[in-house]
Amino acid sequence: MVNSNADALGIIFPNSYDGLVPELVSERSMASIPFASRYRMVDFILSSMVNCGIDNISLIVRKNYHSLMDHLGSGREWDLARKNGGLNIVPPFAEKTVKVYNGRVEALASILAFLRNQKEQYVVMSEANIAANFDFKALIDAHAASKADVTIAYVEREIPAGLISSNIDHRDLYYTLDVDGDKVKELHINSKEKGVQNFSLNIYVMDRELLIDQISDAYAHGYVYFERDIIAPRMDKLDVRAYKYDGYVAYISNIKSYFDENMKMLEDTNLDSLFAGNPIYTKIRDDNPTRYIEGARVKNVMAADGCVIEGQVENSVIFRGVRIEKGAKVKNCVLMQDTVVEAGASLEYMITDKNVRITSGKEIKGPDTLPVYVAKNQIV
Amino acid sequence: MAKEMIAMLLAGGQGSRLYALTQKLAKPAVPFGGKYRIIDFPLSNCVNSGIDTVGILTQYQPLVLNEYIGNGQPWDLDRLHGGVHVLPPYQQASGSDWYKGTANAIYQNISFIERYNPKYVIILSGDQICKQDYSDFLRFHKEKGAEFSVAVMEVPWEEAPRFGLMVTDDNDKITEFQEKPKEPKSNLASMGIYIFNWDILRKYLIEDEADPDSENDFGNNIIPNLLRDKRDMYAYRFDGYWKDVGTIPSLWEANMEVLDPEHSGINLFEEGWKIYSRNSGMTGHRIGADAVVENSMITDGCRVSGRVKHSILFAGVKVEPDVEIEDAVIMGGTVIKSGAVVKHCIVAENVVIGQNAVVGAMPTDDENGVATVGSGVHVGDNAKIGPNAMVENNVKDGEEVW
Repeated sequence: MVNSNADALGIIFPNSYDGLVPELVSERSMASIPFASRYRMVDFILSSMVNCGIDNISLIVRKNYHSLMDHLGSGREWDLARKNGGLNIVPPFAEKTVKVYNGRVEALASILAFLRNQKEQYVVMSEANIAANFDFKALIDAHAASKADVTIAYVEREIPAGLISSNIDHRDLYYTLDVDGDKVKELHINSKEKGVQNFSLNIYVMDRELLIDQISDAYAHGYVYFERDIIAPRMDKLDVRAYKYDGYVAYISNIKSYFDENMKMLEDTNLDSLFAGNPIYTKIRDDNPTRYIEGARVKNVMAADGCVIEGQVENSVIFRGVRIEKGAKVKNCVLMQDTVVEAGASLEYMITDKNVRITSGKEIKGPDTLPVYVAKNQIV
Repeated sequence: MAKEMIAMLLAGGQGSRLYALTQKLAKPAVPFGGKYRIIDFPLSNCVNSGIDTVGILTQYQPLVLNEYIGNGQPWDLDRLHGGVHVLPPYQQASGSDWYKGTANAIYQNISFIERYNPKYVIILSGDQICKQDYSDFLRFHKEKGAEFSVAVMEVPWEEAPRFGLMVTDDNDKITEFQEKPKEPKSNLASMGIYIFNWDILRKYLIEDEADPDSENDFGNNIIPNLLRDKRDMYAYRFDGYWKDVGTIPSLWEANMEVLDPEHSGINLFEEGWKIYSRNSGMTGHRIGADAVVENSMITDGCRVSGRVKHSILFAGVKVEPDVEIEDAVIMGGTVIKSGAVVKHCIVAENVVIGQNAVVGAMPTDDENGVATVGSGVHVGDNAKIGPNAMVENNVKDGEEVW
């Protein structure tokens, strides 16, 4: 291995926290939720791993993974169509005795044989509900330097509102850390503490051999959750370290945060922080450039290619192939791929999923506290 | 496995009439239409027509073009058998030669064509903007039982003397070829796109190479020789959009026509006949709160804070506040600083236009030049670039170039 390549393999859990955004995942996984006008959530972690020289990446999918597979294809767009390693999508086995996994222990147990056959020294793991240009190399270097058993990446922030609210899916645990220097003293599960916490990004790095041992053991005991059942109870036996991440993180914890995180992209400082440094790759659609026709009035907009804009758009994030016809007004909206806003329609505080059509003359206004969401392929 | 038809794309042209734009790259690599390069058009046409093997003949400044083509994946031309191949002149046991002419370029690659054992070869030109279904052209060629066919466009009679013209009978059979004649007998202009039966092409290439007086050119030598021998030659009429973008005004005009697909006939927005290109990989573009964007095309990576009217911005162009852009073609990565006025011009890639600089001017009765700024040029603050200027070197603050 040359120096630019990390000696690690990557594992992504594309369905984690699906339960926080039930609307958006009715036909997809968290990982394939469209974000920032031309990306899917998974593009960020996937590209970050690739940019750090991790070229052996597995996605352990749980359900609704067709859109994700369609998005990722052979992995070529992320430079992951490799002879060795590359992209590896692991669907659940359809067998009577095997159930769809709940926690990470079960997920990882399903690929133990694969893990044993790999050569990389380290394993890095992540969810897909965060959009960050994450420097995995720095994390792995810190982990190697400290000779820790496990290193957890965290950010200093308040606990995301979506996680605290009561309707959280029981599978979607979250964690906060008590740290002393880089040592993790305690791992809190589903804390309700107010104010800034050491909030775990659920990005971990650990030795592959150790991971295999821990998972084999935990799975034999019928444990489900990696953090709750392996790390938290063994804090005295394992050397668990914390790695503070200072970069920009967009965190999806409910539909409101999805809306807000998209809107934040309209501020250049946020956009520049998220996309500074290494490129984020995504599936190419070969759209033509976006066309602003005579009469278009556009203010504070982020738009992808392939759109035709003839109406008014303000404070909005517009995905690929959106059409806004003459006299239509769009304000404070997130319009996903191929949304059509017909002539004279007026939208405010809305999220439209893929292929939505708002017919001529309709006026819809959501409250700014909870934007109205229109599901995929609907005609309003 | 034999291929029915493969394509040979002539991309060696220096494009000297594009001056500042082709200092560092070959004409087919010149950016066009917001996110494309000229060569994307013939390549996409090939793939959309079902041609999966393309040889690209290069020799002038091939670096950008080679890197751009890569393994051909963006055009779906990365194939197990066939695909896209860049074919520069190479050294052989018998010596080496630059491509002496268009026919010689194909002659030197006879062995490449023979690997695929094709029945037909289509010769394409890398400097035209055109969406064309070559499979329809091939169907015509087969129906006529032709040995050679050329795609032609009807041009206005008064412009005919500028072209190579095909004189045909009622059955589209070519009876005479006139190269830029003073007195045209036909208004069917050759588009420089030919289909040959491979055995015929091979025979005439070898014969042409043996003739020491030949210029080794399709128009000047091969076609006259075919006519001399009374070969079955036909003219295929094409009536779609076609533009040779060999000059600055025609390149500018073709870009402006992209903005008006309803009238110009060049529609990049059709789902059924996409033009593919290598992606910039940049984020979606941003239009600022005080920006005004009208009748323009904008692509990934652009940041617009000023006023943009009837213009095309390529990937990653930055337009600062209080900038005025009109009727302009601004290529990738260019930065236009606050207060600058940029009109009726072509600004190449990675240019910096300084604060309050003026580039080009809207046409008047006696002045309609398209100002051109070459790639990588730095135009200083308060500098002025006149409407007929062709700028290849940096312009100092306050300097005027006419």
